[in-house]
Amino acid sequence: MEMLLEALASLMTFESIITVLVGVSAGLLIGSLPGLTATMALAVLLPFTFSMEPLQGLIALGAVYMGSIYGGAFTAILINTPGTPSSIATTFDGYPMARQGRAYEALAGATIASVIGGLVGVAFLLLLAPPLARWAVAFGPSEMFWVAMLGLTLVASLSSGSLLKGMIGGCIGMLLSTVGVSPVGGETRFTFGFPAMQGGIELIVALIGLFVIPELLNMAAEGRSNISESGEFGKTKVGIRQVARHILGKPVNLIRSCLIGQVIAIIPGAGGNVTSLVAYNEARRFSKDPQSFGKGNIDGVVASESSNNVMVAGSMIPLLTLGIPGAPPDAIILGVLLMHGLRPGLDLFTESGVLTNGFILSMGMAALMLLPVGLLGARLIHKVVIKTPYHFMVPAIAMVTILGTFALRNSLLDVGIMMIMGIAGYFLRLIGIHAAPIVLGLILGGIAEQGYVQTMLAAVVDPIPWLRLVSNPLSKVLAALVVLGAATAMLPAWLERSGRLDKGSPNRGDDS
Amino acid sequence: MILRLNTDMAAGGFGLVFAAVLWLGGTDIGRLSILFPRAILVILVAFSLLLFVKGFFRPGGRSIEIPGSPQRLVILILLLLVWWFAIGKLGFVVSSFLVMLFITWFLARVEGPVSWKRLLLWTPIIAVMVGGFYSIFTQVLNVRLPSGLLF
Amino acid sequence: MKFSKSTLVGAVSAIALAGIAGNVQAAYPEEPISYVIPFNPGGESDITARFQEPILEEILGVSVNVSHRPGGGGAVAWSEFQNNAEPDGYELIGVNIPHIIGQPIQRSDAGFETDNWEIITFFHSTPNALIVPANSPFNTLEDLVEYARENPQAVTLGGSGTYSANHLDMLRLEREADIDLTYIPFSGTGPLPAALEGNHVAGIFNYTMLGVQMEDRVKVLAVASEERVPALPDAPTFKEQGYDIVGGAYRGVAAPAGTPQEIITVLEDAFAEANRRITAKQEPLGFVMEYITGDQVDEVITQLREAYAPILEATE
Repeated sequence: MEMLLEALASLMTFESIITVLVGVSAGLLIGSLPGLTATMALAVLLPFTFSMEPLQGLIALGAVYMGSIYGGAFTAILINTPGTPSSIATTFDGYPMARQGRAYEALAGATIASVIGGLVGVAFLLLLAPPLARWAVAFGPSEMFWVAMLGLTLVASLSSGSLLKGMIGGCIGMLLSTVGVSPVGGETRFTFGFPAMQGGIELIVALIGLFVIPELLNMAAEGRSNISESGEFGKTKVGIRQVARHILGKPVNLIRSCLIGQVIAIIPGAGGNVTSLVAYNEARRFSKDPQSFGKGNIDGVVASESSNNVMVAGSMIPLLTLGIPGAPPDAIILGVLLMHGLRPGLDLFTESGVLTNGFILSMGMAALMLLPVGLLGARLIHKVVIKTPYHFMVPAIAMVTILGTFALRNSLLDVGIMMIMGIAGYFLRLIGIHAAPIVLGLILGGIAEQGYVQTMLAAVVDPIPWLRLVSNPLSKVLAALVVLGAATAMLPAWLERSGRLDKGSPNRGDDS
Repeated sequence: MILRLNTDMAAGGFGLVFAAVLWLGGTDIGRLSILFPRAILVILVAFSLLLFVKGFFRPGGRSIEIPGSPQRLVILILLLLVWWFAIGKLGFVVSSFLVMLFITWFLARVEGPVSWKRLLLWTPIIAVMVGGFYSIFTQVLNVRLPSGLLF
Repeated sequence: MKFSKSTLVGAVSAIALAGIAGNVQAAYPEEPISYVIPFNPGGESDITARFQEPILEEILGVSVNVSHRPGGGGAVAWSEFQNNAEPDGYELIGVNIPHIIGQPIQRSDAGFETDNWEIITFFHSTPNALIVPANSPFNTLEDLVEYARENPQAVTLGGSGTYSANHLDMLRLEREADIDLTYIPFSGTGPLPAALEGNHVAGIFNYTMLGVQMEDRVKVLAVASEERVPALPDAPTFKEQGYDIVGGAYRGVAAPAGTPQEIITVLEDAFAEANRRITAKQEPLGFVMEYITGDQVDEVITQLREAYAPILEATE
């Protein structure tokens, strides 16, 4: 407790506050550019922290992390482009809201949800780090396989319409994830003889292509902007207070999303992208009005954004206690800790407790800082997007996506892959295969493959190898959850199909 | 524009073609590396066949609608691909400036003919935009953008 | 001021040397240098490059831009570099052993060759280490070998990647001790601590850094270096225990083939000085600082190629 106060005191300096402010703003800017991920934001800004004191450096990086995860929501809502993969689920309802002229409402909702999520994550980290850390190591290969399977049950709710087409999309995504070097066999697959294809299809490249390019093509074909102007400031103004009241009025959604965010954050290997998708899916499943999801329901935005910001501090639990990065950006934080001579472990909370607690508290401060910085930023960006004529908008967005895709791996081939996937995505959407299941397959394919093949490898001496998949208590529980999840997801779809097949089909996919 | 197309059969057909391409590209891979992709390929083929057959009996939709002008759609697709190709040849700055100016002009024509004056006004705006992003990426983010002519 | 080439070589202080080099070699460097890391940000290669960056800039007097080109375990960047980079000393790339040895042998489409560049230096190495959890029944390497001899394939060892330094040295252990183990590859070093803590594998074959990082929760049974590693004084080497296994990952930097020797020399000295200045930070983490240049580079590559090639070819 004393340590906590001491840590708090060390944060209340002018220097620290400025560091957090600058860090959050820089993170927000980088995070909102599609292709520039939180990992990259941290890597780019890392050298600036070398000249700082250890605490100051960690504060800056924590703030950048928080800002960049939040920044992804901006473009997700305004141009249907998840700025970071953690914001995929934000597009599902955020973008329809923007098209209805409720962009600012969605942005405000995302901001408030992010602030709350960020604070909840910090609270978990401060209070429950050691017990929760034991959880992280319970997830071995077979458990990871089931986590991926659990994620795949999301296909049912993401496929908006035909379940079969959703499954086909999911399979295509999983197959795309196998291009390149195999994670277990170590060979190159499906490169068709091109050395450059050894790099495979990066999730973010596919993500940008599948989400942005079809929107651009749509805008061009229709000859007008996809985003409605009716929600401009001063006209149908929805105040920040009303949005806050709406969100806080539904605490169950918030609590559920934050818990999901925390649980998934400590599973190593499942990052913010899985977190927000699962939280979104559960919000929809438990909603009284699941039909309104995907058509501009703010609860979807709240679920996605609160859960992925919980992850920022939440994924630090296995990192700080065990040295296990819970999400990709944490690997960089780990490097910084080690370079400053701080070894992850419980010592970090006792011997160098002031530093660690200072770092944790600074993330809380960064979360609070999102409110003013975010709302101001939202206002500015929103204005720019609304006022810009569409014939500027289309080439400008295209340029930013090209730059972002290129910057990810310094690869011009990636830009080509992005465009081709986007163009294919446009036509696939017309025949009912949507981007979301493909992306889901791409995210989970690698996790599922690794878990499955590793389990099979470890079971070479067993008489029936595949029984290893359900040999641990945790994997049994997860397997049961998969069956349950699949059943509850399929049942309504099946009932709907057999009940009112003809009515169901015409309005499929129109709004997505 | 509305096209007559059995979407179930189209989607099933696409799944089968996709599976076939990978099947042909996936020869001579070790057991550990092919285990998972092969399982998914089998599942994909099964679902695709199911959907294809379903398309005969109970098609989900018999037509697709391309909103707006298909001509503009095709031209923008071509422009994007040209842009990609040109970045490799002309460098990022030159190709982006030219393609962006062209796209802007092309899309603005929807509202009527574009005067030379407007085009002249846009030139510096687009130049600043390209230059601004170019310098942010190369100077601040340390990304080496492809160079060609001039830059 | 006039300086001959011999005074240049004889200079001891690298800072003074850099200043002199600036006078003699007015032509190099005068433009920003690009330093490509063929892996994701956050890895050992990246973190090291970030630390070298400001020191190199200070010595060379031009800016050094670190960028990433991940994919295919490094192969994408390496094949691009060998095909496109100009031999003018302004394009450098990080190179790792055993990747640059293993991939061309093992893949038909790796797109690069082990020798088709000028390797300036290998600046550090990370020896392999055999690590088991603190609660493991194995207390020594001999315990593990005995058990594995009686129970073929039952001992599962995790490691980073397939045909990586970890995997190859585990295969060497199998040969040397005549036992049959099961290797389980993970994607990178990140997931390994969890696999160990959660008892998902019996042990791991990874680098010394992980042994240092998890010191109080694991037992390091053996280290694959010639001598004991400073950061792990209590961990015996394989050699001490009768197995001739010395290996690990070497990290270095290369310029395109055909780069003039004077430029290579300038860079060699700059990297050596950078290495000296970051020793205090890297050594306690388990890195072993190296100053391998010139002919020694070929020696290291030849030596490791001889050790690994039979294993790699046997798997084809």
